[in-house]
Amino acid sequence: MKIGNATSLVTLLLGATVFSAPVFAQNTTSLKHTLVLEDLENPWDMAFLDDGTMFYTEKCKGLSVLLPSGETKALLGMGGSEGFASTADDLFCEGQAGMMGVAIDPNFANNRRIYVYSTSNMSTPHTNRLMRLEVSDDFSNVSGRTDIVDDVPYKMKASDHPFGGPGAHNGGRVRFNPGDGYLYLTTGDTHNGQVPQSPTMMGSKVLRIDTDGTAAPENTPPVGFDKRTYTYGHRNVQGIAFHPGTGTPIAAEHGPWHSDEITVLRNGGNAGWDPRPNMAGRGDCPDNYCGYSPNQMVGENRFARASWMPMTDFETYPSAMPPIWNNNGWSQGTSSAAFLEGDTWGDWDGAMVVGLMGIGFGGTPLGQRIDVLQLTDDGTEVIDVTEMTLPMEAGRFRSLVVGPDGSLYAAIDEGMIHKLTP
Amino acid sequence: MKTGSIIVIWLTILLGTSQAAAQDVEVGKSLYKKNCRACHGPTAKGLASYPKLVGHPAEYLVDRLERYRAGEKFGPNTPLMAPRAKKLSDEDISNIVTFIVTTFE
Repeated sequence: MKIGNATSLVTLLLGATVFSAPVFAQNTTSLKHTLVLEDLENPWDMAFLDDGTMFYTEKCKGLSVLLPSGETKALLGMGGSEGFASTADDLFCEGQAGMMGVAIDPNFANNRRIYVYSTSNMSTPHTNRLMRLEVSDDFSNVSGRTDIVDDVPYKMKASDHPFGGPGAHNGGRVRFNPGDGYLYLTTGDTHNGQVPQSPTMMGSKVLRIDTDGTAAPENTPPVGFDKRTYTYGHRNVQGIAFHPGTGTPIAAEHGPWHSDEITVLRNGGNAGWDPRPNMAGRGDCPDNYCGYSPNQMVGENRFARASWMPMTDFETYPSAMPPIWNNNGWSQGTSSAAFLEGDTWGDWDGAMVVGLMGIGFGGTPLGQRIDVLQLTDDGTEVIDVTEMTLPMEAGRFRSLVVGPDGSLYAAIDEGMIHKLTP
Repeated sequence: MKTGSIIVIWLTILLGTSQAAAQDVEVGKSLYKKNCRACHGPTAKGLASYPKLVGHPAEYLVDRLERYRAGEKFGPNTPLMAPRAKKLSDEDISNIVTFIVTTFE
């Protein structure tokens, strides 16, 4: 019997082997767990209306909506997708790139607008775009696509780096700040050493714009910078949340082989990531990007790495925004952030939650989890960090969103959207 | 004879009896959960930038694991794969691959 014909064995083996459902952790908190959706393909983000309607993206498929009735409708597909009300042939996925963040206009009841961030091949080099769409009254389709941001860099070619395939580091979160009403878009460095400190390339930035894509006039980037820039010098920001008391944006981003960071953003601030070669005592680096150096393919002490290629380089940029948390120096895939709100959360009311996807490299603990960060009242310091004891199996926590019912919704790459209710 | 060929032959022999195969699938399942699942997913369909394992013949999967184990550098995920593969014995590779090719579609 050839192993290539192993499919024929499946029935036989299944008869002798019990493939049980996932074994849930025994030590759960009082959180109640509901599986909202499953069998999705890399769900990336969600956005809610007050009645519980949930828009969600799948990285390689497109945009869909789950209605309060339980019915789902596939709205806008990527190129080649089937079963969607419409498809946009320029949208594609590759590596980490694809359809990512989604946000709902605060004035949705009147303008029916939503905002979706996706990779597009409409231009060459390809880019990441923030699209504005209008949802039909019956939630059956979207129309009126307007690309309000069309120039966020995309990595076209593979490079000699870990995770070095095309499509790396796009950022991807899209959120409205209830405090100032502006739309925030987070981007990434695309494994390009020049991008983070570039005044004009819109990777490694947090953009603050209006719903037409125009820079917020209050933005104060350094002279010569694109006015859409709220902050710059980031590595790959996939999480942004706004302090419920102050409205201050707080970013969560991946570290390289060390130092995931939570950073309170300052208008015009520099996050201090500068992976250019021949900078800060470094020499040449593979493909002109020092982001994983030195010894980028081998495990090494994280603090030594942080000293050589810091996430926030205070020596070069003394006024860089300091992180308020660095995951004890580990890099475990910090991806998304939100603030819990409501009395039902008890002591966690007002706490920040951060999702980690897990990266087990070079002795780093895998770390798939949701952390609960207690901040000071002004949101500028971390008081305590607690790992949420989950009432379900952990996964690659890609997106955390607090729904209108006060529950915490968590999308994991494994294809599920969970609801956690206190 | 290459080690990969030996493993494939061994796999063939093991899979010849359902009881032994089931036992090795269980071992493979445990090894998969410990070493592979976090990146390649619970159904081996791949996650994010981690590739899918389903749809490949056993020979391919064995070859890849052996090359990573031997220290060969290929592909952008080598730094993640190599340390894990180095810990795997021929039997471990056999069990993991058996689990993958007999469990997932």
